[in-house]
Amino acid sequence: MTITHHPDDDVLAAYAAGTLDDGSAFVIAAHLAMCGACRSAVRDFECIGGVLLGETEPSRLGRAHDGAVMQELAAPQELRRKLAVTTAPDTAVDNLISIFGQSSWKWRGFGVHSADIGVPVDNGMRVFLLKAAAGTRMPQHTHSGVELTLVLKGAFQHEFGRFEPGDIEMADGDIDHRPIVDAGSECVCLVAMNGRLQLHGLVGRLLQPFVRI
Amino acid sequence: MHGPGSGPLEFLGSRLARRRMSKDSEKQKQARDQARLIADVAMRKDRQAFVSLFGYFAPRIKSLLMRGGAPAEMAEDLAQEAMISVWRKASCFDPARASPAAWIFTIARNLRIDVARRSQREKVYAVLETVEPDGPEQPDAIITASQRESKVREALNILPPEQLEVVRLAFTEGMSQSEIAEALKLPLGTVKSRTRLAMTRLRQKLEEVR
Ligand SMILES: [Zn+2]
Repeated sequence: MTITHHPDDDVLAAYAAGTLDDGSAFVIAAHLAMCGACRSAVRDFECIGGVLLGETEPSRLGRAHDGAVMQELAAPQELRRKLAVTTAPDTAVDNLISIFGQSSWKWRGFGVHSADIGVPVDNGMRVFLLKAAAGTRMPQHTHSGVELTLVLKGAFQHEFGRFEPGDIEMADGDIDHRPIVDAGSECVCLVAMNGRLQLHGLVGRLLQPFVRI
Repeated sequence: MHGPGSGPLEFLGSRLARRRMSKDSEKQKQARDQARLIADVAMRKDRQAFVSLFGYFAPRIKSLLMRGGAPAEMAEDLAQEAMISVWRKASCFDPARASPAAWIFTIARNLRIDVARRSQREKVYAVLETVEPDGPEQPDAIITASQRESKVREALNILPPEQLEVVRLAFTEGMSQSEIAEALKLPLGTVKSRTRLAMTRLRQKLEEVR
């Protein structure tokens, strides 16, 4: 898999710092599952947290803690379901989706279906899968909020490039685009989005009331 | 007359450089020692090793969480919880992938949010540990985690203050980009671009050893 579109470094840094909203973190995690270069970058960035933690002035621990902690250590450990089972990159995203659960597909217009992912909405960010039939032309649109799109299957392109599996697109209100799905195959994307799509043009304005994405 | 390289300034400069160097190798040694302590906890449930780790990290995690806005008592409870996770997850620690401080930071980071969201955050962040290394990650193996940490420290030391500020607010204070923008009265785009510049600097520093 050749990935050409990666998240910007400020987003990877926010992921490493743990300050992204849950929806964006979910989509970034899915990209990381597919992209060794970004995994490696996040590890580098997490190291910033380590260095700053080491430099933090220690606080005095107020209460008698040793007893409680030691007791906790002695407690029999429930066999932790190990999250750390090694996973091949191509199944990692499926695993991630199955952990949170996926609703059934719903028709959204223009040959587009969507299915919600059970990541609770945080800071307005919803996470869903978007499936567009081969050759679909989405209407010209911008976003009232932020949108992260990760291609899982198939491909689409628009004015700003071509997006294949593993590629991530970050769009906000400044970006006005008209994606076209490849003719050969349907396209499935994982999307985190807040706000709504804003359609353009006469057809767009007529359709807007019916579009619930 | 002083010849080149033997003047008092050069002498002072080299002494400072040496001192910085020895401070760095001290830090690297500390990281190696801590990695050994974590290994002792993992392999032998070594309590003495755990107590050493606790003594160093718990008070710092407490500070970190307080800077993120947690009240002292809560920060202390969470610091203890983080250290108990260190005890339980010690066998998941991979010294080739992370320095001890970086690993413990990730544990504290995942505790920084409210209880309700914690378990899902852990799942979302588990990706980093669960995916098997493939191509692009391999070159990492040639630099050790403690080398990486020292390069990251170097990069932080030379960051322009306005970049260091946004990095600190994110990693220590746990503030999101829009919270930082609000606190510093800056446009969101400026916070993003300063962060990106800082990360570029960091990547460049790490390139030196890769
Ligand atoms: Zn990437």
